[in-house]
Amino acid sequence: MSHSLNEIEAMSKRAARGAGLSWGLAEEAAKGTRWLSSFGFPGTELLAELLNLNDRIPAIDVSPVSLRAEVWHAPARRMSPLIAGASLSDCAARLLERGKITMENVSLPLLAVPFMGGAALRLGLPVAAEWEGARLATDGKRLCVQASPEALRLRQAPTLVFSAPAEMTGQQEPLLRAEVCEDSWSQLEKFAHRTFAPATEESRLKGAGAGVSDND
Amino acid sequence: MNEILCRDPNTVMRLARLGSMHQSRLSFMRVLTRRLAREQWRFEQTAFEIDETGQGHAVYTAHGPERSYSLIAFAHDLPPEKRSDRVIAEAWDATFTLFDGVPTADDIDRLSRNIPVQEAGRVSGSELSVSRANRSVRLWEHVVTALASGVQPDRAQIDAVGYLMRTTAVYGSGKLGAADREMIADRPEFRAPFQVEMLSVYLTRWFVMDLVQHMANCRAAATGTTAAKLDIEIARSMGIGNSTGLGMAPFLLNHPVLFNNWVAARERAIQTVRNIAEASPEDVSLFRGLVERSKITIAKWHSDHPIQIEKLAGLRSDVAKTDHYLEAHALTGMNPWDGLYRWAEDALTVEGQEWIASLMLEPYGALVDGYAEEMSADNTATFRISGAMTIGDLRGLLHEIYSWAIETDWQAPQNKARAWYVSEEKLEPRLGERFEEPIEEYEQPLAPGRDAAMLYRALAHWPDEAQVAEFLLRHPEHRHVLRRAQIVGRAPYAEIRDNTISDRVLPIDMLRCKLSFFGATQFDPRSDRWVRICMYGNAPLPFELTSENAEFWVFPNLQETAA
Repeated sequence: MSHSLNEIEAMSKRAARGAGLSWGLAEEAAKGTRWLSSFGFPGTELLAELLNLNDRIPAIDVSPVSLRAEVWHAPARRMSPLIAGASLSDCAARLLERGKITMENVSLPLLAVPFMGGAALRLGLPVAAEWEGARLATDGKRLCVQASPEALRLRQAPTLVFSAPAEMTGQQEPLLRAEVCEDSWSQLEKFAHRTFAPATEESRLKGAGAGVSDND
Repeated sequence: MNEILCRDPNTVMRLARLGSMHQSRLSFMRVLTRRLAREQWRFEQTAFEIDETGQGHAVYTAHGPERSYSLIAFAHDLPPEKRSDRVIAEAWDATFTLFDGVPTADDIDRLSRNIPVQEAGRVSGSELSVSRANRSVRLWEHVVTALASGVQPDRAQIDAVGYLMRTTAVYGSGKLGAADREMIADRPEFRAPFQVEMLSVYLTRWFVMDLVQHMANCRAAATGTTAAKLDIEIARSMGIGNSTGLGMAPFLLNHPVLFNNWVAARERAIQTVRNIAEASPEDVSLFRGLVERSKITIAKWHSDHPIQIEKLAGLRSDVAKTDHYLEAHALTGMNPWDGLYRWAEDALTVEGQEWIASLMLEPYGALVDGYAEEMSADNTATFRISGAMTIGDLRGLLHEIYSWAIETDWQAPQNKARAWYVSEEKLEPRLGERFEEPIEEYEQPLAPGRDAAMLYRALAHWPDEAQVAEFLLRHPEHRHVLRRAQIVGRAPYAEIRDNTISDRVLPIDMLRCKLSFFGATQFDPRSDRWVRICMYGNAPLPFELTSENAEFWVFPNLQETAA
């Protein structure tokens, strides 16, 4: 079914929060899923897969141990692409200084790609991501993709390398609507539902501060 | 003399002041009617297929220089027990969508299965908004009865309510599958915020006039008589009501850059006018005339809510003081508007200050209307966190923006008595009692003051030279508020500098602020968390809109009320 990008963003944020991410990271997950969807990638499917994989685990376990390390790795031996990506975006200046940032064992690497869009905008230079079978580059607005469909759906990339400045070839413009697979949507709904307080008669009356009849 | 600066965000962004805002030239309804008139938009009713029970549909199309937009209205026969203004309602007297272009019969058919059920339906990228409205039962029945029996409705009853229908939700920007704002943001007619919603309500008002006449005609015909035609002056005096509940309050917190741009535009306009060295006699006379007309609105403004009753008493006494000031001061000296504003700051209540601040912009459309072009927002640039910022700089920023919060005792129950959460019923935002209801685990991030104070404390043992990126890697729980602090660092009016979860918080302050930017008048709080207002009261109907009447319609005509 065709969805608006705002719907995708709103659902992704609630779902990520429902899976235990902090509000700030849930916002990153939402922007990232929206960005992927706008380029025709199955953003909601990837997010649902990741939330199932890391459901309610401590973020620190799947975060880089240090941002100064030569190769970023996570204590749990698999890194969340959302946390890796958010950290990459936070380290945009460092990325340019070092020329590249290498990460190990990143789950669903495509989910980390939107964050390099943020880094590219901050630097004003294109940024690239490469892993086995895939190379993507973006200036923040357009995207270049050279990848096999399998590589884009890879469950874990042994090595993921971000580099800047990158070259842009064969550019793709974002779309303004997205097709969403129903199954991924209902999985996100399930996670999102955890963030909603069950309605009680009391909250129904008091919580919104209004009566129930308006025949005046 | 030195340039007068914009007002300090620490003054402007307090809840008590935000809750006292008044409409101005930059309000979104007025931005819209000025454009429609300037560009000579053409309006037509292209369908009105409504039966004698009041069920069916109608289409109203607005033709602009490049594009057309159509309000598709569905009218229903609603039993009283289903009439609720709450978001959780499931049936309404009328439902609407603003369609991008002119709909085909297939579009109407598709929408007739989706719009009447609102949140339970789906729309597409061709639809720009989805909304619904309920009748004011008393006034509706009075007007239909009067017209059907061949007489005009009673003016006092009309004035007491002000509208025949009130909207209970207007959804835009991607909701329910509708077009995202990003799809239409580059169209000049939608550059200012909420123009889709404002156009939809403007056309809704026309439809409601037609519908009430139709119902009166049907009733008269049933008895073999002919109904009176609603007097155009009476029709024009009525607006569209709106019931805005708690759900709108988080909007201002969730769209900090947008909110900043609204407030900043008005503040720049105020600054511009305060810096005017001399006022021409025409400008002064226009201002004086509008003060008189504005007094009619204030005199008619009715509320039964104790908080608003008190504020209204203050405002009415402010009006009397302003009269004295304007008798004593000809506004012919140097910096007359700054003089007036400074006097208001000392002499008037916050309601009165904001009333004057908005009113003094009126003569200066040529200087201030352009600020409306800067009121929308693209969040892309501000969303990204600057990870290279040092902890020392972050600490400084927190001091500057959140000093009130850092000094607040967040252990004291009264300072965090409430919690914002979302209920599973239609995802309705609600405000609950943290210590009395099991809601804390569902709390939404709508208490930036408390969160900033917690961030400030968490930073205490970090060295100044460390970078924000390192801190966030260890503390993802502070990512949300840290982003906010950086945003407010660049957009100083983005943050409400007050406690949004205390036992004394009044969500109606946030609602009023937002609605004043829409251009609403006659705020009538029904509790501490929902408010009724009137939109487009006194505005020319679409078919009579001209450049002459598009500008100052919000101020009632002096002669008109004397009649």
